[in-house]
Amino acid sequence: MTDKKPLLEARQVFKGFFGNPVLKGVDIALHPGRVHALLGENGAGKSTLINLLSGALQPDSGAIAVDGRPVGRFSPATARAAGIAVVQQELSLTADLSIAENIGLGAFPRRFGLIDYAALHRGVREVCAMVGLTEPLDMPVADLALGRRQMVEIAKALFRKPRVLILDEPTSSLSAHEAGILAGVIEMLRDRGTALLYISHRLNEVQALCAHVTVLKDGGVTADQSLSGIDGEGLVRLMVGRETGDLFPPRPACTPGAPRVDVTGFSAGLVRDIAFSARAGEIVGIGGLVGQGQEDLLLGLYGAIPAKASSAEVSGKSGLPADVGAANAAGLVYVPADRKHEGLVLPHSIASNLILPSLGRLARNGFRDRPAETGLIADLARRLTIKGDVARPVQALSGGNQQKVALAKWLPLDPSVLLLNDPTRGVDIETKREIYLMLRAFAAEGRLIILASSDTPELVHLCDRVVVLREGHVAATLVGDAISEEAIVGAAMGVDRKGAAA
Amino acid sequence: MKAVKSLFRNPPLLTLVLVALVWLVAGLTLSGFGAYGHLRYLLELAAVIGIAAAGQTLVILMGGIDLSVGAVITVTAILVPLISPAWDPTGLVGVALALTIATGIGFLNGAGAAYLRVPPIIMTLAMATFLQGLLVVVAGGSAVTVSNPAVLLLGQARPLGVPAGILLWLVVSAAVLLIIHRMPIGARFLALGANPLAARLSGVSVARNTLILYALSGFFAGLAGILVLGMNRQGYVGIGDPYLLTSIAAVVLGGTSILGGRGTYAGTIPGAILLVTTTALITVVNASPGWRSIMFGTLILSLLLVSGREARR
Repeated sequence: MTDKKPLLEARQVFKGFFGNPVLKGVDIALHPGRVHALLGENGAGKSTLINLLSGALQPDSGAIAVDGRPVGRFSPATARAAGIAVVQQELSLTADLSIAENIGLGAFPRRFGLIDYAALHRGVREVCAMVGLTEPLDMPVADLALGRRQMVEIAKALFRKPRVLILDEPTSSLSAHEAGILAGVIEMLRDRGTALLYISHRLNEVQALCAHVTVLKDGGVTADQSLSGIDGEGLVRLMVGRETGDLFPPRPACTPGAPRVDVTGFSAGLVRDIAFSARAGEIVGIGGLVGQGQEDLLLGLYGAIPAKASSAEVSGKSGLPADVGAANAAGLVYVPADRKHEGLVLPHSIASNLILPSLGRLARNGFRDRPAETGLIADLARRLTIKGDVARPVQALSGGNQQKVALAKWLPLDPSVLLLNDPTRGVDIETKREIYLMLRAFAAEGRLIILASSDTPELVHLCDRVVVLREGHVAATLVGDAISEEAIVGAAMGVDRKGAAA
Repeated sequence: MKAVKSLFRNPPLLTLVLVALVWLVAGLTLSGFGAYGHLRYLLELAAVIGIAAAGQTLVILMGGIDLSVGAVITVTAILVPLISPAWDPTGLVGVALALTIATGIGFLNGAGAAYLRVPPIIMTLAMATFLQGLLVVVAGGSAVTVSNPAVLLLGQARPLGVPAGILLWLVVSAAVLLIIHRMPIGARFLALGANPLAARLSGVSVARNTLILYALSGFFAGLAGILVLGMNRQGYVGIGDPYLLTSIAAVVLGGTSILGGRGTYAGTIPGAILLVTTTALITVVNASPGWRSIMFGTLILSLLLVSGREARR
């Protein structure tokens, strides 16, 4: 199967930024008809390697070879001409353009110098059918949920009929159903002879789809081998370079305390008239397909979007918090899914981000107490093992460390309810483990954790109780042994199953 | 080389060095430029811009803009002579009233931006237009002469040879630097300017801070208006007009990002001095007013390019 010539290769590429070497002599070869996995923790150099392979960056030394021939100046245009397409992790769509225009952007069929919309729609309809996009083609992308936008992104790559397709964490915002469709598309492309590079933090996907793996660690290749006969444990060993314990901490018998959140007739955004309650010391998971109201449930409880309830008791106070300030005062905190846009002030320092919610509490006579602030920041950085100079801008950190900052900034408030929205999206496996351990410890301290997640294993193994939302309603509440991937996915898709006692 | 590089990363210092260079070269080549009296006069002019730009700096740090600065200066300059009560020998009551009105105008700007969700650029521009119309109706076209003793003292007194306006600027500078760098509210303004959504979800109240900010901007514009009035002894419609653009230019010359979230008043101070120096140098050149404006505009643009202000993000 792999005796053919590789379509795209990197040969001993080196790349550094501002004197920091990121890639130190990396080889990778993408063969036609094979799904190649690229694994590595955040900061290992995966994104840089992708940028080299797609011509977005030039290697400092080493070469990129197409069809076995090294290419001198490999630019994005050359890459496109060679049939290389990338599905970026950061969505690169233009929100105001329609689905069809986004998919065709840069490759519009023309007639008399104008866009030939009829031809465009024909081509677009074909790729949309492949990825299961049924929305009208002239719908603006802004009106789509995050998961659907990701499908548009994938369709956009397919529209160019690529010979080499690079997928950078394509499933991080997809529901299980959409991820299934994507897996089908990948298998079809593979059988047609496309070379695929698949980057994901979800090891079960890698095992299911990929035939070969390259593992990066600290800018070097630590493994380049066939995946046959390697199980999940083995993959983790390859990535981390040592034995890891279980990803998820043991789940102690849950002994919930006093009710912390108790709402009935609750509506906010997509959420329609639901009852929801949770007690101190619980980790409650919120599952479902992407965009079924999970985020709105959290934001509504947090006072960040208008919400109403026929009866509500939140953190010992009756009524919903009027705004974010009131929610914070009541001991509720929120960690958003989109940490770059909602969670952090990216250009500002790690220190300013950590101190932002505590500014008022630490102030004395209206002025900031610098020594107290410095002490608190150092303490937070130590507790969450955020390494290095806290005066650096937070955007210099890797995804996992950014997430730690987004979480750590709330600790000084001693929150009693933590609302977390997909806290491990795009986070490497080691940091994931740290976060899971931390959440367990929080629950043991008697805090309530409400965790919306698109990562089903996380819901299954971390949560004491899982509430599955579907079209803004509670589709199922799963407790204890009834929590399983099948039950969650089944309830999310509206399939009745045993054990899904509502 | 390293020192030069770090200089370019510190816009306030860079602007200060630029001012020093211009003063040095001009002082050596132009007779009269380096005289103590002339430099003092430049600083006195810069004080008005600097005080008007104090509020503007805060507003721009939070990602907004205040286009009513000029109109508020005019309003205070015309109102003080009209509303100063005759029974008050100090004149402080009139000053306090005018400052309250100026702060109130700023507060209305903030309310429009915070509650009606009118973009600040529209809200403050509409406010400026409204105020100008109101002034024409109330004051007519004629200039009003000030007899308020407090205002005259501020505009004319020179304790120990230092004009009172410069002293006022020093106090304002200290206050604004404290707000930005030593008070929680300053850190909140910056966070709101860099990422309003993340700041809001971190518990920073957008409405509250917007109200405070535009009220402060109104207050400082009012202060600048009183100083201008004291220096001119007369208030007239249009007296504040030159200070709208100069207040914004001083902020941007000082290295504060026009997009918000990054910068400091420490840059605005040399920015204001650089502006009046440039104006003075252009006046020395014997040119018609049209050409002076063209030269002024070109110079500001090139100054901005030299210092490479808007760092690529």
